[in-house]
Amino acid sequence: MSTPVLHPRLAAHLADAAAEWDLAAHATGPADRSAAEEGVRAAYHAAGLREPRQIIWFASPAQAATAAVVLSGDAEARAAVRGFGLLPPALLDLNAGPLVRDPVRSAPWEQVRAQAASALTPTAWAAAWEFVGGGFWPQVNRLVGEIRRGIGRLAADQTRPARVRTATSREPHEPTDPVEGLLRRATLDAVLGQHDAPWLAFFDGLARASLIDLAPLDGVLRVSREAGWWWPFEHVVLICERPAELHRDDLGRLHHAVGPALAFPDGFGLHAWHGMPVPAEFGATMADLSPAAIRRQDNAELRRVMLEHYGLDRYLRESGADAVHKDDTGVLWKADLADDEPLTMVEVVNSTPEPDGTYRTYFLRVPPWVTTAREGVAWTFGMQAAQYQPHQQT
Amino acid sequence: MYRQGDILILQVTAESVPARLEAAPRDARGRLVLALGEATGHAHAVPGPGTLLLSRDSRLPEFLHLPDGGRLVHEEHATISLPKGWFRVVRQREYVPGAYHRYVAD
Repeated sequence: MSTPVLHPRLAAHLADAAAEWDLAAHATGPADRSAAEEGVRAAYHAAGLREPRQIIWFASPAQAATAAVVLSGDAEARAAVRGFGLLPPALLDLNAGPLVRDPVRSAPWEQVRAQAASALTPTAWAAAWEFVGGGFWPQVNRLVGEIRRGIGRLAADQTRPARVRTATSREPHEPTDPVEGLLRRATLDAVLGQHDAPWLAFFDGLARASLIDLAPLDGVLRVSREAGWWWPFEHVVLICERPAELHRDDLGRLHHAVGPALAFPDGFGLHAWHGMPVPAEFGATMADLSPAAIRRQDNAELRRVMLEHYGLDRYLRESGADAVHKDDTGVLWKADLADDEPLTMVEVVNSTPEPDGTYRTYFLRVPPWVTTAREGVAWTFGMQAAQYQPHQQT
Repeated sequence: MYRQGDILILQVTAESVPARLEAAPRDARGRLVLALGEATGHAHAVPGPGTLLLSRDSRLPEFLHLPDGGRLVHEEHATISLPKGWFRVVRQREYVPGAYHRYVAD
């Protein structure tokens, strides 16, 4: 990537920092706990705070977020998560004091950020950020978002009655679980450790070029090199191990065919197929696909993934499908099926590109009397062909 | 008319919205969720002020009121800026032989 406003020496420092922090962001395996704890204590010293009395390690951010709810929440929140059975009983009676994320993380972060803002022109800032974080930040941010979602879902699964939990669909207006809200908010209170890497790479690159002084963030940086998310309270720090396993595809998206793509030592994890969250058993079904199995899949998103894996051309060929009409909304396909009414599908393409510039393709079944692609797509939204005229699509 | 993946948003007049529809609650993140992916947990959602009303029949989100305009976000689609006003929310459906239809549940 070339950026004319970046001095080659600065670019070299940024590249070195980005390479190093990319490893930290995706590191797996046990933390060097004493190094991480030294980092924590250094961050408290820098903030003018007393060292925390206790630093408690957790096997996953799910466990630690649950503990953070207990330590910071009201009596009701404590009672709600107590039943999870995830936490050691001693933790429930701990006096952690208030959260001190602001002095420990936000204030020094802002100080370093301000130095960077005065060291770089706005154009140079944009170029340097693009150079370091352009591809790195969206990847890590997406990972953080999926972990947060996974933690929220864990709460929902723990507290929702079994009959709802095993239902095949979750409607968007289903009453929100209050514990899910508490846990999600707790994830926003975390210092992200290894997942702060894209910004730390940016700051570190500038520091290597002697443009800023990273000393205020020294403790935070040291934790990020060694550990996962952490919650700084006045007297107690909750800190997480890194994942035991992390599997990504060539575009850096979570992906694993057999088993979770991300797994923490306590079993908390995420299953994903090329970045898309999938049910745990989904990977195994991909080994034995057939056009009929693909048609039987109710979920359009999972069916798209199955189709991609099986091969679109192969699927259409084996289904005996012909393209019968094409316009700016998509392509209309028809195939005769044995012992069934004809299969009529519209092929539609996402308007938002994937990281590699390709677009996801979906096949949606429409009634057999449909004769044009526009008529088919309009039907999927309950409209006549002439009415269907979106002026913005993403 | 705006489309974000499997959701279509049509601007309508306030008069065309039936009276006394029930408002949908916000999700754990304080957002109005127009549709939620069953497998992914990804959502078409409006994070800002507004009201989402449920259809009497299907109990699915049907009308959206944005008194100041707003943004429609989704994890995998670009954000759409919506002007202020009333909107009808249409969720994409699929044809199922022998059944009326089923919604696209991505």
